[in-house]
Amino acid sequence: MSKIKAENVNVYYGSKQALFDVSIDIAEKEVTALIGPSGCGKSTFLRCLNRMNDVIDICRVEGSIKMDNLELNSRKLDVVRLRENVGMVFQKPNPFPKTIYENVAYGPTIHGIAQSKEEMDQIVEISLKKAALWNEVKDRLDEIGTGLSGGQQQRLCIARAISVSPEVILMDEPCSALDPIATAQIEELIDDLKKEVTIVIVTHSMSQAARVSQKTGFFHLGKLIEFGPTDKIFKNPDNQQTQDYITGRFG
Amino acid sequence: MSEKPHIVKSYEEQLQLLKDTIVKMGTGVEKQLENTIQSLVKKDISLAEKSIKDDELTDKYEINIEEQVVNLIALRQPMAIDLRETVVALKVSSDLERIGDLAKNISKRLTKIGTDLPNDITKNFEIAGLKASKQVNAVLNSYLHRAKDTAENVWNSDEEIDQMTNSNMEAAVKHLEKNKNDIQKVTQLLFMLKNIERIGDHATNIAEQVYFLITGDYLEGDRPKG
Repeated sequence: MSKIKAENVNVYYGSKQALFDVSIDIAEKEVTALIGPSGCGKSTFLRCLNRMNDVIDICRVEGSIKMDNLELNSRKLDVVRLRENVGMVFQKPNPFPKTIYENVAYGPTIHGIAQSKEEMDQIVEISLKKAALWNEVKDRLDEIGTGLSGGQQQRLCIARAISVSPEVILMDEPCSALDPIATAQIEELIDDLKKEVTIVIVTHSMSQAARVSQKTGFFHLGKLIEFGPTDKIFKNPDNQQTQDYITGRFG
Repeated sequence: MSEKPHIVKSYEEQLQLLKDTIVKMGTGVEKQLENTIQSLVKKDISLAEKSIKDDELTDKYEINIEEQVVNLIALRQPMAIDLRETVVALKVSSDLERIGDLAKNISKRLTKIGTDLPNDITKNFEIAGLKASKQVNAVLNSYLHRAKDTAENVWNSDEEIDQMTNSNMEAAVKHLEKNKNDIQKVTQLLFMLKNIERIGDHATNIAEQVYFLITGDYLEGDRPKG
């Protein structure tokens, strides 16, 4: 079932067009990977899904992006509410310079989700457990989040994102700064989270896209060249450009 | 799809080496089979002995290809056409090794029973053997030239070897009924005929792999069988 349906999305940075007529159906409770060379538009597209492009003055987004029939590209949309529902994890772990507990409690606090201290404690614990971090930090929740290792910080950011129970999580190169073990932990987490959440991940690691996703989209020069089941894309893509890219023949 | 070279030259070279090794192994196996058949046609047992000896090289090629494939998977993580190239090489080398073994086995039987054999059976054997050789040659060409249609033709025409084998076996049994003294030779010849049929099957397996290599799809339907 489709969770997000983008139709004819065009994005401009001033006069420069960054995305051309991108149409894509993102399935619910699946992992969708977006791959392509630098500057191909995959991150620009990802940012359309929680209106992160709004923070760029010269950026203009045209076309329709619907999440459960709600038009995300509407001026009337409550963007704060949208971002509660569509969380994001970035390339570089960016925990707040606050305690581990406060990092996770931040979202539920500003959205007024928890009614009591006990409820907040529970949200923090569940979020950290879902992010597979609880066992490592349960005895030092009052320590500063930025003091954790890179992999732990990234899982803390995931815990922070899931603390407000989003339906979609966007990940922009979430493992590019992590070692292989921390990467495996995040990938295991992605596998686990997809039971409840729809995940869209931008990655430069094709083997990671192949490992974690069920659908893959290949972007090139602002266009979605091919989109389909991940095994098909990596075993026998239909498009020559896709094949050239994934086999290292690009250029 | 026509392929551009890889950005990383050493990867391109490794894949090329793999393809070249398959072709070399295939050429060697073809020669082995030819020597085996010609040993009977020309009544020259030294050709059978050469085929037996050459099987050692065939076995070495198979090990070499397996090493290349394991290295490519471990170090390059091939994708799409490169992945098919790698996996198909492993399977094709295994079929080629079996063809080499079967040729060697026929040759060993020949060295045991000699070339003075009942003409009616050996004639049948020659015809089936030459047909199997042609199949092996055609399928190797389909690999070398990435010719999907040739691979399909090989796949479709194995039936003829199957039918030949059935009628050859029947003819051999009939010969035996009339010439009971030939029992030792004819028994060996029955195995040899069966080996030819198996060689045809391995050529067909390779045809399936070549088709998969080129298209990414599997040949569908039941293979015609005699």
